[in-house]
Amino acid sequence: MVDFFHAHQAQHYLVLAALLFALGAAGVVLRRNAIIVLMSIELMLNAVNLTFLAFARFPLVANSPMQGGFSQGHAAVFFVIATAAAEAAVGLAIIIAVFRSRTSVNVDEFDSLKL
Amino acid sequence: MEVSWLHLIPLLPLAGAAVCGLLGKWLPKAWLYAIALVTVLLSFCIGLTGFLRLPEEVPIFHEVAFNWFSAGSLHVDMGFLFDRLSGALTLVVTGVGFLIHVYSVGYMDEDPGYWRYFAYLNLFIAAMLTLVLGDNLVAMFVGWEGVGLCSYLLIGFWYTDEEKAYAGRKAFVVNRIGDVGFLIGIFVLFNATGSVSFAQLGVAPLTLATASIAALCLFIGAIGKSAQLPLYVWLPDAMAGPTPVSALIHAATMVTAGVYMVARMSHLYTSAPGVLALVALVGALTALWAALIGTAQNDIKRVLAYSTVSQLGFMFIGVGVGAFFAGTMHLVTHAFFKACLFLGSGAVIHGLAGEQDLRRMGGLRKYMPQTAWTFAVATVAISGIFPISGFFSKDEILAQALHTKAYDFLTLGPGGPHLTSLGTILYLVGSFTALITSFYMWRCYFLAFEGEYRGPEGVHPHESPGIMTSPLWILAALSVLSLVIGLPEPWVRGSFLEHLNWEHFTGRLFSPPRGGPPAGFSPWPGYLVALAIGWAGFGLAWLLYAPARAASGDDRFAALFPRLRNAFANKFWVDEFYDWLVVRPLWSFARGLWRIFDATIIDGLFINGSAQLVAWVAALARRFQNGDVQRYAAVTALGVLALVYAFLLRSSP
Repeated sequence: MVDFFHAHQAQHYLVLAALLFALGAAGVVLRRNAIIVLMSIELMLNAVNLTFLAFARFPLVANSPMQGGFSQGHAAVFFVIATAAAEAAVGLAIIIAVFRSRTSVNVDEFDSLKL
Repeated sequence: MEVSWLHLIPLLPLAGAAVCGLLGKWLPKAWLYAIALVTVLLSFCIGLTGFLRLPEEVPIFHEVAFNWFSAGSLHVDMGFLFDRLSGALTLVVTGVGFLIHVYSVGYMDEDPGYWRYFAYLNLFIAAMLTLVLGDNLVAMFVGWEGVGLCSYLLIGFWYTDEEKAYAGRKAFVVNRIGDVGFLIGIFVLFNATGSVSFAQLGVAPLTLATASIAALCLFIGAIGKSAQLPLYVWLPDAMAGPTPVSALIHAATMVTAGVYMVARMSHLYTSAPGVLALVALVGALTALWAALIGTAQNDIKRVLAYSTVSQLGFMFIGVGVGAFFAGTMHLVTHAFFKACLFLGSGAVIHGLAGEQDLRRMGGLRKYMPQTAWTFAVATVAISGIFPISGFFSKDEILAQALHTKAYDFLTLGPGGPHLTSLGTILYLVGSFTALITSFYMWRCYFLAFEGEYRGPEGVHPHESPGIMTSPLWILAALSVLSLVIGLPEPWVRGSFLEHLNWEHFTGRLFSPPRGGPPAGFSPWPGYLVALAIGWAGFGLAWLLYAPARAASGDDRFAALFPRLRNAFANKFWVDEFYDWLVVRPLWSFARGLWRIFDATIIDGLFINGSAQLVAWVAALARRFQNGDVQRYAAVTALGVLALVYAFLLRSSP
């Protein structure tokens, strides 16, 4: 059992990231407003960023001779941020386009995938 | 002697059949007739040449055309065997076949299906020649089935008539019953001897049990093909085909195949004396049975059909008492006079514009004298009146039955009575049948050709053209001339006729029955009795159907034996009985199978059922695809969770 409160290890960050990810996923699945759904996606992406950073900062195994983690994690985070920015732009553009045709941003009403 | 031309005999008509069948529709009529006739005539010429050149010492021509198939120890060659028996039958088949071809040119000229008809007829000749010439049981079986097929095709030739198509199917199905027996017989013989060729089967030692089973099975095939009790019912219905077909297939050649087969397998049948006795008994019963029915039929072709069944019964008596030469001799003479009778009836039907009912004929001798005279000659022959061929061949059978020793040592079980007297019983039944034969044939003649014309109004009976009457004359002449093969051997010993004597001619071909051939006997008592019987039948027919009052003859007959005549006229209700015993239960069974298996299980369960299963699964799956992206995402997330959980479960110790 991991001692959450005394070990300055990756676990704390990972648990936080998992909670944020779950929150985001719940938002994506449960909320009706498309803008909130988009924001929830951002939340999930940032939860992922947090895990990257946690692994970049801490060694994977306690007392590893290797100080620090994988520095590529920092690079990955920048890619995710860039992608997220692009995604937000495209997503908002889609929402605006849908709103123009449907006069609604309620995802419940967007069921034309059925056909 | 090995030769290389035997295969031509069946091949030529086969080629003719192929040309007529494939190109006949586009060939000019004259060409088609020429091809159909010339191929058969060529076969006849080859057969005749071979027959005349048969070596005296070992009178056998043999040819192995090719190895047909080999499987394990079974080697079947397409081989042909031309000896005195198969040679003579080749001449009968091609000779009578040619005459009937000639006749058919006149008879079928106006039928739109004439090219189909001649193709079938040629195919039949080819199949029959294969049957006769085959040097092993399998080759014989090919011909056996081939003639059955042609018979079916030709009975149902006018297939648009439902009744005629049904008659064709009936013949085919009834023959199948017999053919199963024939096949099993071949299997039994192969299993016991390792060979199917006549040459080896003719000398193979067989135990009594094996020989009896094989002989019985083969005889079942003969019963079907040769229309004996209890499978004779198809032959009278086979008269639905064109009349020349009835003459060729259902009187002269195909139906005698059973007799030929038994004679060919004489070694087997003499090794199984019990079955031999059964052959004779079935023959005798059939002869009597069919002759009785024949007395009260009104359709001229049906009279002749029952007469054929009856005469085939005589042939089976002949081979069944071990006198194979007598049975096959009657086969040959019968081929001539019965073909003549059938063609005569065809000429009558032709001249009366399709009328077949004896009650609506009468006095035709004035209008068609040639037909009448030839019909009379053949009637004399079949009723066994001295001196035309039927008298000698039929009496030979009866005399052999009376004096046979084939059953002397047969007992009905241990300590049971000996069957010595079976021959006498066969003789009595056969003689009585001969009386009835003479009676019904003269009845037929009187009703058709004598007395006043009672035919349909507006029809002018006329003689047939020369192309139809000339075969009649030739066949009538042959009916008379073939008496020379039936003269008792002692009469001709030393003269040139000896070589024509059938008993002498085929002497070494057949195995003698267990008890040996009958001791020498004088033919005179038998001849006198037979002569009396022949004339007695004529006298009876005269009493009832004398020319002046032929029309009311049936009424007088009915007044004498009302119940009997009713039974004869209704053919002993055999068709009705079979209908009740076999056909209807089979129908119900098939209907049940159709309902349960076809309609319920296959259509219902498999076809509609699988479709419904797919529809049901699809309805379930459709719920998942509701177009709601969020639900998709949720399901995906749950799926990923499940995967991760499963992965962790597996990887943790």
